[in-house]
Amino acid sequence: MILFDFDYERAATLRDAAALLARLGDDARALAGGTDLLPNMRSELVRPGVLVGLSGIEPGPPGLEADGALRIDAVMRLASLAQSALVREKLPLLAESVHAVGSRQIREMGTLGGNLCQETRCLYLNQKHDYQFAAPCFKRGGDCCYPFPRNDRQTCWSVHMSDVAPALMALDAEIEILGPGGTRRIGAADLYTGSGLKPLSIRGAELVSAVIVPAQQRTGWGFHKSTVRGGLEFGMAVIAVSLQLAQDRTTCAAVRVAVSAVRERPLRLASVERMLTGAPLDGQRLAQAATEAGKEINPLPHHGFSRRHLLDNIRVYLRRTLEQAVERARSGCA
Amino acid sequence: MLEVNESTPVAARRSQSRLISLCINGEWREVAVKPRLTLAEVIRDSIGLTGTKASCESGTCGACTILLDGRPVLACLTLAIECDGRQIQTVEGLAEGGKLSAVQEAFLDQGAVQCGFCTPGMLMSVTALLRENPKPGREQINKALEGNLCRCTGYNAIVDAVLQASGQGVKPVME
Amino acid sequence: MSELSYVGKSFRRKDGPDKVTGKAVYAQDVKLPNTLIGRILRSPHPHARIVRIDTTRARALPGVKAVITVEDTKGIKHGFVETPRYPPDQEVLARGKVVHVGEEIAAVAAVDQLTAQRALELIEIEYEPLPAVFDPEEAMQPGAPEIHRSHAKYAGPHSNVGGNTETAWGDVEKGFAESDYVREDRFECQLRTHGYLEPHATLAHWENDKLNVWTSSMGSFVKRAKLAKTLDLPYSSVRVHKTYVGGTFGGKIDLYSHEYCAARLSMITGRPVQVVASREEIFSAYRHAQPLILEIKTGVKKDGTLVAQRIRAINNAGAYRGSGVVVIFLAWGFTMIPYRIPNLKYEGLSVYTNHTVRAPQRGHGAPKVRFAIESQLDMIAEALGIDPITIRLRNARGAGEQLPNGDNTHRGGLQDCIRLAAERSGFLDKFGRDRKSPPGGTIRRGIGIGVSAYMGGTLIYPNGSGVIVKMNDDGSAVVLTGAIDIGQGSETVISQIVAEELSIRMDDIKIISSDTDTTPQDIGAWISGMTYVTGNAARQAATHAREKLLEVASEKMGVAADQLVLKDKVVSHRLDPERRLTYREVIAHSVATRRGDTIIGEGYWRTMRDEPNHPSLATTKGRWTENYAFSTQVAEVEVDIETGEARLVKALTVHDCGFPINPALVKGQVDGQISMALGHAFMEEVITKDGYTLNPNWLDYRMPTIHNMAVSEDADVITEQYRVGQPYRTKEVGEGLVSGILAAMGNAVYDATGVRLHGTPFTAERILDGLKRLQYQAKTARKAKSGTLGA
Repeated sequence: MILFDFDYERAATLRDAAALLARLGDDARALAGGTDLLPNMRSELVRPGVLVGLSGIEPGPPGLEADGALRIDAVMRLASLAQSALVREKLPLLAESVHAVGSRQIREMGTLGGNLCQETRCLYLNQKHDYQFAAPCFKRGGDCCYPFPRNDRQTCWSVHMSDVAPALMALDAEIEILGPGGTRRIGAADLYTGSGLKPLSIRGAELVSAVIVPAQQRTGWGFHKSTVRGGLEFGMAVIAVSLQLAQDRTTCAAVRVAVSAVRERPLRLASVERMLTGAPLDGQRLAQAATEAGKEINPLPHHGFSRRHLLDNIRVYLRRTLEQAVERARSGCA
Repeated sequence: MLEVNESTPVAARRSQSRLISLCINGEWREVAVKPRLTLAEVIRDSIGLTGTKASCESGTCGACTILLDGRPVLACLTLAIECDGRQIQTVEGLAEGGKLSAVQEAFLDQGAVQCGFCTPGMLMSVTALLRENPKPGREQINKALEGNLCRCTGYNAIVDAVLQASGQGVKPVME
Repeated sequence: MSELSYVGKSFRRKDGPDKVTGKAVYAQDVKLPNTLIGRILRSPHPHARIVRIDTTRARALPGVKAVITVEDTKGIKHGFVETPRYPPDQEVLARGKVVHVGEEIAAVAAVDQLTAQRALELIEIEYEPLPAVFDPEEAMQPGAPEIHRSHAKYAGPHSNVGGNTETAWGDVEKGFAESDYVREDRFECQLRTHGYLEPHATLAHWENDKLNVWTSSMGSFVKRAKLAKTLDLPYSSVRVHKTYVGGTFGGKIDLYSHEYCAARLSMITGRPVQVVASREEIFSAYRHAQPLILEIKTGVKKDGTLVAQRIRAINNAGAYRGSGVVVIFLAWGFTMIPYRIPNLKYEGLSVYTNHTVRAPQRGHGAPKVRFAIESQLDMIAEALGIDPITIRLRNARGAGEQLPNGDNTHRGGLQDCIRLAAERSGFLDKFGRDRKSPPGGTIRRGIGIGVSAYMGGTLIYPNGSGVIVKMNDDGSAVVLTGAIDIGQGSETVISQIVAEELSIRMDDIKIISSDTDTTPQDIGAWISGMTYVTGNAARQAATHAREKLLEVASEKMGVAADQLVLKDKVVSHRLDPERRLTYREVIAHSVATRRGDTIIGEGYWRTMRDEPNHPSLATTKGRWTENYAFSTQVAEVEVDIETGEARLVKALTVHDCGFPINPALVKGQVDGQISMALGHAFMEEVITKDGYTLNPNWLDYRMPTIHNMAVSEDADVITEQYRVGQPYRTKEVGEGLVSGILAAMGNAVYDATGVRLHGTPFTAERILDGLKRLQYQAKTARKAKSGTLGA
């Protein structure tokens, strides 16, 4: 139940949507699957005057481009994406990450673009404020931070929880953005600012229009989403790994490690990647890298989990995910 | 360069009601809706079919699950205004000509219904599952139903109901 | 022994077809024309004086039809407990001050949701925040902020004591002195909540001097009584209608402010008023379960026999008395039933804090108490070198034992439950296995056992149940019962009993239930007494009807009544079945020859026929119940020792519910309680900070999903039986099976890891912390041994 009035316009194409957003200005928001926006409207985190509906836009199926890259429309529903034979074959890491989102129903409704562009989250933020935490926090345009009272107004430690973003980052994906000036492409990581206040780098009238994943040379992959219950939840930490072994099947030729649900944005772990590249990936090395990851991430305590526990969890599961990736790389099958 | 021209849809006065047509359980209904109304509110209040339940209204429990063009979605997070011309199936539409579906019968045979509040959403999720996967294994059942919370049954009887309904060797435990 | 046709069989639920077709009408589904939307204004402060409240602007908003504060009420208080010692302590709306976040201050009725929301925002309130206290042990300190004065009859030194319970027998100090082994432990349990899928919802309609109410509840007669009282209406002016109920687990017994407000707003406006709580309100302003602190000192002989036990329970009661004074009584009860304790000293304190008020939750203290006692008992057993089965058999009460409060265990089957549980689970083969020889990999398996007992029906208003069986002239029957089906299957069970006694089919019976105007009074679905109390009332009513049928048939056929048998709506001669009358013929004869007697059977029942009242909550004196249900549960868990993540793999429940009237319904109760217990054990916690709820939603309050279910087996130790025409004794099965399995999970986690947790939930973090501590201790011990521990 949304307790304020707003208007609605349905866009026939993504271009129309971008044009509408440009015309309507800050008062308008794009509505894709609604699984992130509508709960936030219900709790009045955001109160747009107009929604520009994208649900009338039919996504094309994921398609291979000439250079072997896979192009996926941003408005593609996560369930369709998870079921796509092409994606499962070419990008199993991506398929796995999509499969981990929410519930069946959420995946049927939510879109790829929507998942990437979701708002950051915090216990104090994602609830109605009728009588609890009524005074708005910094992110809500107010004067305080409830979980971290000593933070200044430029700092919001709400966490970005996308399950799909780290997979795309580990796959060197690019994000295509459509705006009034046309389209542009950025690396997946560049979609995120690292600020909990304004987590996305795209501007008001811009839309994520597509994700383009280059042809993959790395055959080893691993994905893990840490949860308490094994499903339905956002993660405590979400880990995506993509790697390639050298001919000796032990030395790391190339690796990408990305983590989400740990900070204001999903992170590429460049330091960890450097540590692993060119090194033999034995148990000790992987354990070392996993411990190093904790330092590089510096996770925010969130959603009731302590920093210490998140570090413990990441240390074990990053090691296991790397092991999984190595196993897959060795067996040659993706 | 994108240009805004006369063909671009123009935002009119705030909060205009629209007349939409919904095909609910095979019957077309026309209803005027404000944009802010969710499909759950429209089904329950405007159409008057109260089988679909309102429980958390934020997509975390699955009690409001309906089939939209055959896909299981959360009615509480769907704006009715986006459903113009679409097919909606609710729990009231599962029985045909008064005859309960195999899934409904299985729920009764297995004791998969206690307080019944999660039941409509659960039935819709199961119905969707079995349409696309006639003989799902446990993993697939779990994955399909992970978004439907139940506090009464502990889920075991529900899994057995799915296995019975899909002819996988589970016999009724209730007569 | 005669064959039973209906009782003991797993019939499909009577209300099943309604529930699977969406036809079941719950409180939020009831629609009346011209209904107004009601909303409640709630306190943003945990403790504050209300300096000024001005509803003028809210009242003036177009579309707002009424606004009320406590000034618009009769000022009549209510409470979960209403006795001379514990009189009602809560007004329906706050007066003068607020004592918890979310407390109800005002209510509005408006033409639609948006207007109601806007009206709330227009109510002007000025608060003077007061110092607040959230931890019960802090609240007890002299000088702590006073939420309410300590109870007048409480003689101790602590502040904020809403009530206390004290009892003792024997001499505990002497007992400890004589014990071979004594240990003392402290246990704490988290705040958890019911998590019913159906939100609180109430529709009230005042029309023609009659208040009609549809509300989600656990007992229509309790709601009627409390609404009538606070509205100052005669009971006959309040009708609580039947609705289906979408789960309760103890959280829908009390009178809730929103129910009063819906009614009062309707009385003022003359229109129906609907109030539905949002899920956030339920998590942050409504009643949760009772987090108990338990300090237990236990002394035993070296063979494990219990000698003495001293227990202190502290309940974090929240801001009003609520059910806190009951749980501290029950904590004593759940301590003393399963095992013989020659010397006992018990003290329970229910302490006010600036939190939401507490309510019973499935087990009402038993899960916390049994977790504490069973954990400690395992620790004692290990110290003595005795296995967990032996120590329990040594102490477990048998059948026919007198309890210290004067009750009797009757045909209690605890000894059999323990033996059967041990045998079925292969307990002793599995116990200690992974600790002795750790397998490769990071998964450790553990097995644990937990014993519990519960009571089936005690005396709380309305204390008794009545049932009426109305024969229709074709031989079918309509049964009027005040029983409310909250999912446990009351309508089905009652139908089975009536079908058995009257020898008519299940399809011949229609149940009209839970309507305070048309159905007889009923004890309600919250003291685990439905099957025993209402069931016996139904049996008696059906018996009454049967006796009349036999009498009339006997007269018409010229045969002695004891020569007649009834079967499938036919009365026939025992030896000559050709001499027969259908029920239709019998009833027609009754109407013709007995001044129109259409044959109505009346029945009533109460537990504790020879006791007028519930035992004293303060002293525990007095007989409590005639039905003790015993259980033994075994849990097998798996723990990943690298991450601390634990899960329940298998649960075995051996219980003596008496005999199952509907075995599948019994199994349903078992499974549901396993699920709730594993939630309590591993994943659920209402996180509060300074009186605010941080996780008022189902993403962050983690109830088990389908992923988390475990294999759940059950076995019935059948100690009672059902005979047509005779009263029967069943016990209970809907509440007592959360506790043993919770305790078993704690013990199983220890068995898997060597980590002993003194509190729930057993989160990955806590288990991992425990494992780290063990590793550190092992390393230190090794260093000490090898002399490398530095000076």
